[in-house]
Amino acid sequence: MKVHRTAAPRPPRVRTTSIAAFVVLAALIPTTASATGPQEIEAELPYVCALPSGQQPATVRISADFPQRADKGEAFTPDGVTTTVELPEAAVADLVARDAAEVRPATRLAVGVAQNEATATATWRGSAEPAALPASGPLTLTTTGDVPSVAGQSDGDLTFTAGALALDLALGAADPAATGPGSLTVDCVLAEDAPKEGLLATVPVGAQTPGASASPSPSGPAGTPSAPADEAPERQGDRSPKLVEPAPGTAPDRDDVPPCRYDEQHPPTDVSLNAYVTGYANVKKLKGAAYLPPSCVLIEQGLPEMGPPDPEYLIFDTLSWANFHYQERKQTPPFKATFLSFDFAPVTATMVLEQTDVIRIDSRMKMSMIDFTTVTDTYVRAPVVLHVLDLEVNGTPLDVGPECRTETSLVSEDPDPQTFPGDHLVLYGRGEQILGEPATGYLLLSGGVLSGKATIPAFTGCGNGVEDLDRLLTASVSGPDNYIKQVQGQTCAIAAPVFPSPTNEGQCTEDLQPYEIPAAER
Amino acid sequence: MKKSMRRSAIVVCAAASALGLAAGPSTAVPSTVWTVTPSPSSFDAVNVGNIVLTATIPMTCTTSTADGVMNSATGNPGDVADIDTMNFGASGSPCTSVLGNVTTTSVTPWDVIAVDYNASTGVTKGHVGNVTANVTAGACKFTVSGKASATYTNSSGVLAVNSTAGELTVSNPVNCGAIVTVNTKPTFKGNYAVTESGTGAIPTIVGSNP
Repeated sequence: MKVHRTAAPRPPRVRTTSIAAFVVLAALIPTTASATGPQEIEAELPYVCALPSGQQPATVRISADFPQRADKGEAFTPDGVTTTVELPEAAVADLVARDAAEVRPATRLAVGVAQNEATATATWRGSAEPAALPASGPLTLTTTGDVPSVAGQSDGDLTFTAGALALDLALGAADPAATGPGSLTVDCVLAEDAPKEGLLATVPVGAQTPGASASPSPSGPAGTPSAPADEAPERQGDRSPKLVEPAPGTAPDRDDVPPCRYDEQHPPTDVSLNAYVTGYANVKKLKGAAYLPPSCVLIEQGLPEMGPPDPEYLIFDTLSWANFHYQERKQTPPFKATFLSFDFAPVTATMVLEQTDVIRIDSRMKMSMIDFTTVTDTYVRAPVVLHVLDLEVNGTPLDVGPECRTETSLVSEDPDPQTFPGDHLVLYGRGEQILGEPATGYLLLSGGVLSGKATIPAFTGCGNGVEDLDRLLTASVSGPDNYIKQVQGQTCAIAAPVFPSPTNEGQCTEDLQPYEIPAAER
Repeated sequence: MKKSMRRSAIVVCAAASALGLAAGPSTAVPSTVWTVTPSPSSFDAVNVGNIVLTATIPMTCTTSTADGVMNSATGNPGDVADIDTMNFGASGSPCTSVLGNVTTTSVTPWDVIAVDYNASTGVTKGHVGNVTANVTAGACKFTVSGKASATYTNSSGVLAVNSTAGELTVSNPVNCGAIVTVNTKPTFKGNYAVTESGTGAIPTIVGSNP
């Protein structure tokens, strides 16, 4: 078998999307495929075809574009599917014997789709315009067509394997006036010596899936570059910004942080802001701190309203709302932390903070009517669960599964639990200004330090079905009094952007991302 | 249009003068000849101390600069200078408030209008006129317009701006909620050291009534 990834890009093929959705393993969720570049598959497989003259060897070449990976439940459609069947010269003789001069081929390729223990079969259909039979030599027939979409319903590699091929040949007579030679169906089966049993492609599904080869065989035709068999397609983690912690007190480069901009799925309003936030979260039980790389936050700035009357202060209250924004998800980028568990075993965990609801930001501004000193107290209430993506203990990976999270949001003691019930993280910041002096501290628009303490709840869903890791994580991580310190950068107001200039401190980049990437503080 | 605005300013400035805003006793006869030395001359102005702009809540600028051209003038009030550039804040030192950083974009030229001169102190009283500035703090935007009372002291070269409530008004407030409305009365307070561009010399303004 000669299967390889092509080194040279294929010419573009104009195809329509199949309207037939092939549901594999569970219900199809019609969403778009991964946004990354496709893995281009060119497989050359040996077949044995049942021709009228007997069993004949044939070579079948299959090319298609698959996504590098997909999310669980995410439907995708292999694109640009082309099937080329090369029949030996004997096949031509069989057709000529039927008085055929041309042939219109159609192909039906059975493709086995499997994920974990679940399997299904898709039929890839192709067709072509009539072609004249060659005077001599083999008969090469090339078909193209749309194929069903597929959605993996659990985490794990989704594999595509070529199976039986049916070749429907509509024959055209040499003499149009003569009776048509009719049609012929040639059944072909994958040869026993087909390497990898006809594996065409592997698409990792879900965040936890291991990398898989886009090409099942390292071998390729002479002079044709081939990818190594163990070359892993790009994984989500690989596409993520680098998780390397910058030197203390320094902000990472813009290339190393995820983009932070409004888009078609998240169009801005005239009160929309965006900002980066970064910092550290202590894990008290492990006597260490996790570095949280800059995360994008999209904020809807509230309008200040008159607060309660006070004889000594003028009070304004502002309620704003925010969401994390990472690859269209309300979560932080993945962040990695290494601790010494039980004081001796290094534990490296890759995690994200996922929102379970919108983040609420309450700011109260109080200006003294006596000396005009002004103070703004801001409480950020964020319902976020800690989702563990990967775990290594002493260098050994442990399969935590795709649903390894804290049972509830990180929990802080809320200063106003009656008004704000439920589990959520609370971070607090104070800004202050003495008349005539610059403002200091945290202010929603210009950023600053937010801090708080949180209880990390027990973990659930951790393990691969064989080994339950809930207790291990709960025992080593969960607990109260975990100090969290976050630094928010200057916001960019989308409707009133301030670009850097000699006279202005920059607030927005030209493409309306936050200009400031803050540095984490311990 | 500028002329008509200046005419209207006459009444306002006369009223301000009548309210006794002068640092010292006014001359018995209003000055009608304003001698600026050197004239004409380009000038630069840099803040001395922090500048405070208030629109309900105070905003502090640790950096503020201006430049323009000074000219001798006749009449009362006398337009003795055009401010062609007026900056509040700079890269690295933005103006701040408890709302957050505030960006002010001045729409120039502004004017320096002389109304009254005290020969014994060398202080000219008047105002900075034709003020227009667009202010933003996050999504909150508004425009400040009007004038700001000011004095200029020949011995120090300090232009002291000390506006009173009502001289400046707010228009087109957007997304500012209750903090800044059309009823807000902004103020502008702060000192600027004025020097002749190139030489660093302190210009003087002398009013007389020949």
